[in-house]
Amino acid sequence: MNKLLEMRNITKWYGDHLANDRVDFDLAAGEVHALVGENGAGKTTLMKILYGMERATSGEIAIRGEVVRIHSPADAIRHGIGMVHQHFMLFPPFTVAENVVAGREPSRQGWFDRRRAEADVRDLCRRYRLELDPRRRVADCPVGIRQRVEIAKVLYRGADIIVLDEPTAVLTPLEVRDLLATVRHLAEQGKGIVIITHKLHEVMEVADRVTAMRQGRVTGRLLARDTNVEELSRLMVGRELASVVRPPARPGPVVLAADSLFLLGEGGKPKLNHVSLAVHRGEIVGIAGVSGNGQSELLRALTGDLPVDGGRISLLGRDITHLSVRERRLAGMAYIPEDRQHTGSAGVESVRDNAILGHHRRPEFQRCGWLRGRRIDREVESWVRRFGVRTPSLQAPAHSLSGGNLQKLVFARELAAGAPLLIAAEPTRGVDVGAMEFIHSELVKYRNEGGAVLLVSSDLNEVLALSDRILVMYDGAFTGELSPEEADEERVSLLMVGGVRSG
Amino acid sequence: MQMWLNASLFTSTVQMMAPLLLAALGGALCARVGLFNVALEGLMLMGAFFGVAGDHFTGSPWLGVLWAVVVSAAFSLILAFLTLHWRANEIVVGIALNFLALALTTFLLRSVLGATGAFYDPAMRGLPIWTLAGLQRVPVLGWLFGYTPLVYLAFAAAVAMHLFLFRTVPGFRFRAVGINPEAAASVGIRPARAQYVAVVVSGVLCGLAGAQLSVGDLTMFSQGMTAGRGFIALVAMMLGRSNPLGVILASALFGLTDAIGIRLQGFMPTQFALMVPYVVTVIAMFFFRDKYLRPLASRG
Amino acid sequence: MADQRLKRALEALLHPLAAIVLGLAVGALAIWAVGGSVADTYTQMWNGAFGSAYFAGETLTRAIPVALAGLGVAVAFRSGFFNLGGEGQMVLGAMATALTALYLPGPGWLKLLAGLFAGAAAGALWSWFAGWLEVRFGIQLVISTLLFNYIADLFASYLAGGPFKDQTGQGALNQTPMIEPSARLPKLSATSDLHAGLFVVLAAVVAVWLWFRFTALGYELRMYGSNRAFGQYGGLRESRMMAWAMAVSGVLAGLAGAVMVLGFQYRFIDNSLTDPQYAWVGLMAALLANANPFGVAVASLLFAALQTGGMGVELNTNVPMQISSIIQYVVVLLVSVKVGHWWVRRRRRQTQA
Repeated sequence: MNKLLEMRNITKWYGDHLANDRVDFDLAAGEVHALVGENGAGKTTLMKILYGMERATSGEIAIRGEVVRIHSPADAIRHGIGMVHQHFMLFPPFTVAENVVAGREPSRQGWFDRRRAEADVRDLCRRYRLELDPRRRVADCPVGIRQRVEIAKVLYRGADIIVLDEPTAVLTPLEVRDLLATVRHLAEQGKGIVIITHKLHEVMEVADRVTAMRQGRVTGRLLARDTNVEELSRLMVGRELASVVRPPARPGPVVLAADSLFLLGEGGKPKLNHVSLAVHRGEIVGIAGVSGNGQSELLRALTGDLPVDGGRISLLGRDITHLSVRERRLAGMAYIPEDRQHTGSAGVESVRDNAILGHHRRPEFQRCGWLRGRRIDREVESWVRRFGVRTPSLQAPAHSLSGGNLQKLVFARELAAGAPLLIAAEPTRGVDVGAMEFIHSELVKYRNEGGAVLLVSSDLNEVLALSDRILVMYDGAFTGELSPEEADEERVSLLMVGGVRSG
Repeated sequence: MQMWLNASLFTSTVQMMAPLLLAALGGALCARVGLFNVALEGLMLMGAFFGVAGDHFTGSPWLGVLWAVVVSAAFSLILAFLTLHWRANEIVVGIALNFLALALTTFLLRSVLGATGAFYDPAMRGLPIWTLAGLQRVPVLGWLFGYTPLVYLAFAAAVAMHLFLFRTVPGFRFRAVGINPEAAASVGIRPARAQYVAVVVSGVLCGLAGAQLSVGDLTMFSQGMTAGRGFIALVAMMLGRSNPLGVILASALFGLTDAIGIRLQGFMPTQFALMVPYVVTVIAMFFFRDKYLRPLASRG
Repeated sequence: MADQRLKRALEALLHPLAAIVLGLAVGALAIWAVGGSVADTYTQMWNGAFGSAYFAGETLTRAIPVALAGLGVAVAFRSGFFNLGGEGQMVLGAMATALTALYLPGPGWLKLLAGLFAGAAAGALWSWFAGWLEVRFGIQLVISTLLFNYIADLFASYLAGGPFKDQTGQGALNQTPMIEPSARLPKLSATSDLHAGLFVVLAAVVAVWLWFRFTALGYELRMYGSNRAFGQYGGLRESRMMAWAMAVSGVLAGLAGAVMVLGFQYRFIDNSLTDPQYAWVGLMAALLANANPFGVAVASLLFAALQTGGMGVELNTNVPMQISSIIQYVVVLLVSVKVGHWWVRRRRRQTQA
């Protein structure tokens, strides 16, 4: 078999963390090879090594049978490797054509030949069936188009090996279909394509071969037609996921109500278009949707980070529309933010200090403005124990905790006050399986004890598994409300792209 | 009041704005590659000192300018090295360099030129004034002529920088680095290289700015003679959105307030007249709502 | 636990010490370059700073305004704000103190206390104003505080040279009349200028430390300074954080000016606070100490010693006193590398996790 790429025995240490453990990987021309695994399994590290963004501790890479050294993206590009990053590497103020040619600009005596750039990009798009307007500013392009720009960039550099890192994470199902068609088309033209993903249905649809990774090691290498989603998930996770045990909900009175929230975005298009919802005592309301359809804005509006242009929010019957973040917290709102590192904690501060923000003004923690250190220590100690946060000490800096432990700490902090409402955004993003199961069971326990939960997650399975009611958000509005019985992946997906509008 | 609006006001505006423009262009180039260069003041001061020192020791103001450019470019390398190579906070380094420049120039003023406070050598010649065949006597437009070559160079540099940034491939790459260094690196552009070049060019421009102050406008060096012009240049750069042509307008505004300030000295206490440029700068920042520099400035 | 903490403390000290040694090495190079004797110069520097009770007293005296201004910077820095306006706040504080002590009727002790209060208040207001401009109008603090220094200096210079100028004595100097002896801070030593401002510094160091460590507001500022997004998520408002951080920062800078007037000069003298760069040296001390209040005090003493030592060098050798400033800023540049490094490490950890 004609091997386009071979990575042999790749090992990568980050300090004392082993990210890749003697990994082998290969790719043939005309093949789509999926690399699957959970977050932190080492997929992205492996591809970063291939693209010269990281250096392997040991191991070698061969392109068309020849061992090469790749020490920078420039080296990788020279060897015909192209990468479409999960976080797009684009220059929003520049046009599509400028973005595509950046780094390899056509020029005449040093002057940037923009006309030729546009012509080249037009040709390229025709050849690979990509629909792009070279003169449009990337800042004005939707996500699906931006990704197409990324693919065009890679093709423009003449890449034969194309790596797509989680390409579907931000796309709508319709855009995903377009993308997969493009991928097949490119493979037919003789390109070798690596797709990094953890979405197994897509893998089954498009890949020829699949390599599964777990904790830095390859756990399986299979032909796609010989395997199935169940087998792959076992290889990825290492065991069957415990499903969440959930007694039927017994909703009580309304805790949180939002009435016709309206928020104007840039260019006059509403970010939130008359959004209404209610969360009752003892239920979990899940919001599903492709990220970027207004969920972040809704969260920020509800938590007081962003003032709305219209509508009303009430908590336990009290109007909180114009209250500050602090006042809303005091009124009984707890909030687990999307990004625990950036907003949920202060890395250099101690675990203890991270645990009390928002509570520090409670009378048991301060008297006349002086913190009551011993009380705080005792209380935080008990939270840490109850939530099983593994930390060397209360004085250890928060950044020394692993992702799952930090998230548990955030959970402990938010649930400690006994707030009647918990807003949980992406509660298990990037945490290990153990922490995920723990967090899920805590959420259900909180709800069983009469708590009201608003769950926002881009992981549809999580929403489906936990919610008592599911709201689907699309383009700044809810396109439907479903009970867990009627909600299946297909129906929700349709609503996620605005397929049907009800309610 | 009439005496305010005569041609000599324009003349002194152009004279006042030239060093600001040169330094602000240096700052703008740095901003375009994502660096907030607070060290303009110190770089200018180094330029001013070595301009005079070079003039004094070689007897040629041109060699003075050369000294100024070389030394402040070398000095700017410290900034580049510490912030790019060692990832030091650019504001901290900038401020420290400004004071290091003040200390160093004063130290050298005393130990090498043997003067306290100020150095003046009657034998020293300043830069020539290019009258361009007496064009400065042309009515109405006469104020456009009759400056040192560095003044013309300042305007030429602005135009050149504009062409460079928006018409050439390297300029395009510079802007790419400033917008998203990670993305630039991913397509094989080396952000650090662009940033080094930008910092050194800003050193060269600040060297010219300082030389214009010390061997152009005057023929002397006095301790701390830049007096905050580097900071005003910084604001001119922000006001002009790091756009070379915008920077010309912003520098002209500050040149004009400087010129007016000097004229006001007869009408009000000197201190208030001297305050004018700083107050105008703060007011100008009211109109500068663009927040693109904020993340830069509040980093670290 | 205990020796872990000790180890961390030693690590924290190692870097500034290395920077100081390297700074002295660069200074030696500069001395050698201008033809001075390195050993002799450094001996003179040591003698000038600590050679006798008198010199040690002078060093301590000089450290007083530096430490207060440095604490001011440290307070803002810890809270996530860069206050570069210490000089202006100090000068306005000094002027307010002088005018209060001169023109407030009443007994000396009242003038003294009111003078201190007025100095602190003037510094706080000027500093708060810059903060307010950023919160309200988005005017960048880094630039506004810098420019405010010039405005404050010129305004104080106008007052000292115009309406409040001392008409007796040498007319050339822009200065206010002398404050009566009963309103002055007492001297602590018969031989040097050391005055009771030292106690103000010690009180301020302890107060800042207690404030950040044990009060709810200090805790809020610390969290806000470590991670602004986290603070806002926790319900801390920028306007309130900024107001407190800048006001307290200004209080300390204003006090620096106040004790200089009440304990050292007994009047406001134009340029007497700006020429020695007390506020800027304080800023550098805050950076060297990474905003730790006790560290600021030690760093201030170190930099003050460099400066008074520089005067010894000036008197007894051919090397100009600016050698001290050169060493000082080289040290700061070397320390800045660590601040940056720490930041990069933190970022890397965040992107990896």
